[in-house]
Amino acid sequence: MISRLFLLGVRHQAPTLFVLVLITLAAAAGISRVQVDTSFDSLIPADDPARAVYQRIANEFGSDNRTLIYIRDDALWTPARLASLDALQRGLRQVPHVERVDGLFNLRTVEGRRGRVDAQLLMDGVPETREGALAARDRALANPLYRNNFFSEDGRVTALIVSLEDIEEKPDASARVHDGIETLLDRHRGDFEQVFQVGPPRISVELTRSLFADMVLLGPLAALVLIGAILLFMRSAMAAMLPIITSSLAVIWTLGMLGWTGVPLNILSAMIPALIIVIGSTEDTHIIAAYFRGLLGKGEEVRLDAVRYMARHMGLPLILTVMTTALGFAANLFSNIGLIQDFAIAATFAMLANGVITLLLVPMLLARFGQRQPPAGFEQKQRPGLPQRIVRLFRVSQERFPTNTLAITAALCIFFIWQASNLYVTNDPLSYFPEDRPLIQDTQRIADDLAGVKIFYIALEGEHDRTFQEPANVARLAEIQRFIQRQGAFDASLSIADHLAFVHREFGGQFAELALPETRQLVAQYLLFFHRGDLEQYVSHDYRRANIVVRHNINDSFTLNARIRELEDLLDHVAAPDLRVVITGENLLVNRAAETLMLGQVKALGLLLGLIFLVMSAMFTSFKGGAIALIPAIIPIALMFGIMGLLRIPLNPGTAMVAVIAVGIAIDGTIHLLARYNELCRRTSDYVGAVHQAVEEEATPLIVSSLALALGFGVLLFSNFTVVAQFGALAAATMLFSILANLLITPIVMARVRLVGLYQILAISVNKEVLQQSPLFAGMSEYQRRKAVLISETNDFASGECLVEQGTMGRSMYLILDGHADVVRRDEDGERVLATLGPGDVFGEIGYIRAVERTADVRAAGPVSALRFDYERMQKDLKFFPNIVAQLNFNISTILGERLADMVGTSAKS
Amino acid sequence: MHGRCLTALVAATLILAMANAAAGVESASVRLEDPFDQASGSEIMRAVHERHQQYPHVYEEQVMVLEDRLGHRDTRRLRRFTRVEDDGTVRFLLLFDAPEDVMGVALMAIRDPSGVTRQSFYLPALGPEFIESSERSSSGYFLGSDFTVENLTGEVLEDHLYRRRRDERVHGESYYRVDVYPADADPQTSSPLRTHYIFQDTLFIARTDHFDDLGRVERRQTHHDLVPVGAGVWRPNLVRMDNLRDGHKSFLRIERRVFSADLVPAERFTTQWILSNQPPLSRIIAAVEDES
Repeated sequence: MISRLFLLGVRHQAPTLFVLVLITLAAAAGISRVQVDTSFDSLIPADDPARAVYQRIANEFGSDNRTLIYIRDDALWTPARLASLDALQRGLRQVPHVERVDGLFNLRTVEGRRGRVDAQLLMDGVPETREGALAARDRALANPLYRNNFFSEDGRVTALIVSLEDIEEKPDASARVHDGIETLLDRHRGDFEQVFQVGPPRISVELTRSLFADMVLLGPLAALVLIGAILLFMRSAMAAMLPIITSSLAVIWTLGMLGWTGVPLNILSAMIPALIIVIGSTEDTHIIAAYFRGLLGKGEEVRLDAVRYMARHMGLPLILTVMTTALGFAANLFSNIGLIQDFAIAATFAMLANGVITLLLVPMLLARFGQRQPPAGFEQKQRPGLPQRIVRLFRVSQERFPTNTLAITAALCIFFIWQASNLYVTNDPLSYFPEDRPLIQDTQRIADDLAGVKIFYIALEGEHDRTFQEPANVARLAEIQRFIQRQGAFDASLSIADHLAFVHREFGGQFAELALPETRQLVAQYLLFFHRGDLEQYVSHDYRRANIVVRHNINDSFTLNARIRELEDLLDHVAAPDLRVVITGENLLVNRAAETLMLGQVKALGLLLGLIFLVMSAMFTSFKGGAIALIPAIIPIALMFGIMGLLRIPLNPGTAMVAVIAVGIAIDGTIHLLARYNELCRRTSDYVGAVHQAVEEEATPLIVSSLALALGFGVLLFSNFTVVAQFGALAAATMLFSILANLLITPIVMARVRLVGLYQILAISVNKEVLQQSPLFAGMSEYQRRKAVLISETNDFASGECLVEQGTMGRSMYLILDGHADVVRRDEDGERVLATLGPGDVFGEIGYIRAVERTADVRAAGPVSALRFDYERMQKDLKFFPNIVAQLNFNISTILGERLADMVGTSAKS
Repeated sequence: MHGRCLTALVAATLILAMANAAAGVESASVRLEDPFDQASGSEIMRAVHERHQQYPHVYEEQVMVLEDRLGHRDTRRLRRFTRVEDDGTVRFLLLFDAPEDVMGVALMAIRDPSGVTRQSFYLPALGPEFIESSERSSSGYFLGSDFTVENLTGEVLEDHLYRRRRDERVHGESYYRVDVYPADADPQTSSPLRTHYIFQDTLFIARTDHFDDLGRVERRQTHHDLVPVGAGVWRPNLVRMDNLRDGHKSFLRIERRVFSADLVPAERFTTQWILSNQPPLSRIIAAVEDES
């Protein structure tokens, strides 16, 4: 059936081509609908209950998504510079979607001196004199609410905070805001030493632009690398072109699917074209290698025969490998982070689409346009290439020190697993960019001169209205802020306590210090001096809830989450028993999702390994088969996690996926190896030989595909995103490790087992009645009979060929499946046909039990197909298939017993 | 007889309306002649001022409601005393009665005939002293509301320049529109501070759009529940200020209004009276009892 499926494109070329073209056109039409998602929302688990809490708090105290305009100039406080600043602040207010701009020209302050208190703007218009400008600077720097938030300590840097309308639902709004601000800043760049913006629009725009840059760069680069690798190893232009054709179509299908379904493209899915080209090519490499092997046969229809050979040998492995690769990506669906989920949907579809396209298109193209001769050197085993050299090198270890090799590998794995304990997680969006990127440097500059642009809230809620007009509760806010200051991890914090302390100082006279008012009445009366707009970020209208705004520049989730835990410990103490407290913020939610990320990936990996174990156990009808299939998957993962721990590469949305994806890909090589080994085992009792042959045959495609994969993943190092580059580097390393695991470790383990594939059992074509009626299979179920057939060797004999030769020693027993054979005894009188055996007849059973000379020839009276049961092989197989071999032995004993009884009966009669 | 007259009046109105329609003449043109048809902005504003600022002594009990962008409301109860002296000095006093934590807080502003305003605060919780505040603060928001002191005390005509704009008809009402500029501004090159929408029939300012420095409407002040308080003199019982930038709203509801010199004696605008009478002891006792 699988072969038929494989040959569908060959047998029905026109309809298949029509369907492929139709789907491709439909997909191409959907590409223009593809949406891009660079929102932070996709980094937060959709089911995170903290998200609702954040939204409630952000709704009450205002969103923490603001853009900061950084302005630095040594001569900032001069009329000319301030005039430019005023023009800039005015201009910003006219940028589309800008709701308000807070800065020097609209910040209000309270200033107290000698019995007067003036609540006024920091600067009411551009001063005409230098003195006026300096007086404004002094007012600004005297206000602790603004120092480090709007003005640097030395007064050389100021910030304008731009608040935006809710633009999440508006397509391209971020780009319009960013570009509008940037155009304005360009006009003012000559006015100041330094001016730039940092905020969600810039991050979003940089993410989007980098994402498209990645798509444009990585796909073609991966294609070039792939073509180079295949040309180098397989020396066939056709072998290089086919993966490009199939992957190009798969890219169109995938983008079309994203367009039609509304699943957005994100920074991770931008690497999908490169992944399709790289990963999809491995299937093509394997099946083209099989096609080349098929060309070695000298049939009349060279191409078609080679395609048929390819279909017979590659059909099932291809489907299996496509499934496991897709499963690897699909396992990421279990992550509850939207970014990874969307990537998983796109990548899983891409892998399946590539599989379908390969299955339908490649046989068709090969049958019509395939080369008629294998590439030069394909069959010249006397001139070994790199793959053969590697195989021979590994064989030394496998043959001479198998136990040591396993032990060293196990020790290595343990060492790397221990190193993996240093792993840490991060999910901070800014960590997606490399550190030398201007955005990151600008962010750092803001943190150095002012306070970091990242914000989180500490929201406290009392049991009754006016809780935060009580001086004791205001003091608790101040205590929390003092702790934050002691922690030293965060740059600044601001609350209603700061506002009250500031006003209290101003009302107290010029020598007063920052202290909190002591009565509730005074608190309430001071609060009259603030406009509600000035306070609504810090306290609710009824003073039941208060909010501490904390700014920081911590870029890794691990550090941030650790500091937040310290803060939570303090809050448990400070807030109890009457205040409820929650620490939240979009940035914090994103960083907290890092822990979910880790958990999700552990779950996905466990699930995938379990699934592969079950599938492989079923496929090879043995749990050992399942376990063996996992070995070459687990070893590279252990090494990969170890390297991450060793090199301090964090687990992030990119690197977290490497493990599951690598398992899905690395298992492909193992499947090809095991399938080939099984096939060979049916024709030989030399299992070690079968292992060597399987490894030699599969080494080239396995090494070529793994190296191509490693090179292809290596291409991702050129990504604009650190997470993608790290993903690429680790995936490349894992692919190289998988060569080691598949060619060094798997053969050692494989030689110690004998597997029978479920597909072989199901696909076996034998005369059911022959097996049912044969005494050799008495007492066996249909499944067991089929499995027993596969344990034996199937031999075909031409007419006249001897199955057993008189006078030779032989330990094999035969069961005729099809055709007839004559039992011929030769002696000095000539030859006598003693009997003619037909389907279901068993012969050679004496030799099977005991090494004796064959007493007659058994010659094929026409084409004969027979099962051969070799004694030594059966003894080996006894440990692998005890039930079946024991039943076979029992049946042989029964056959022998009956023969003996017949002989005794015959002797007695004579 | 009476019914016959009414029928005749209705018939005459209908005939007139039909005639107007047939002639395609705007309804404005058939009204009685507009006395301000050719008037300038300043003239209109002076007429507005003269008609509605006839009572020099006003006492009001007010409720101020502050509504934030989420619709949460805070209520303050206050008393307002306004007294215009013969020499043009305007005295303005606000006393807070509720909530109890701000009871007794006083804001006093005195604008002398030259237009200079002195402003001072009294915060009972801080001690028995008045705190002076600069004139510049008067253009700032008033005690957490979206009103400025100037919005509540009214603008000084001499301090401003008025430019009439084309009249406007909104929801069936005809308005004079007058742009307000600082006295020293050049209307050709600068943006107005605000635009008044003045009912043409009553000369009452129904709406004022306050602009920001970019000429965008930042706040909109509207007057509602207008009541006649004398011959052609109207007062609003509700003043509403919408802050279009922040989404805040402030409402000032006048619950009681008395035009009487007895209720706003000159001594009420002295620090001595405020310090010795605010907050009233009886109210403090009541508030403490309520709280307990």
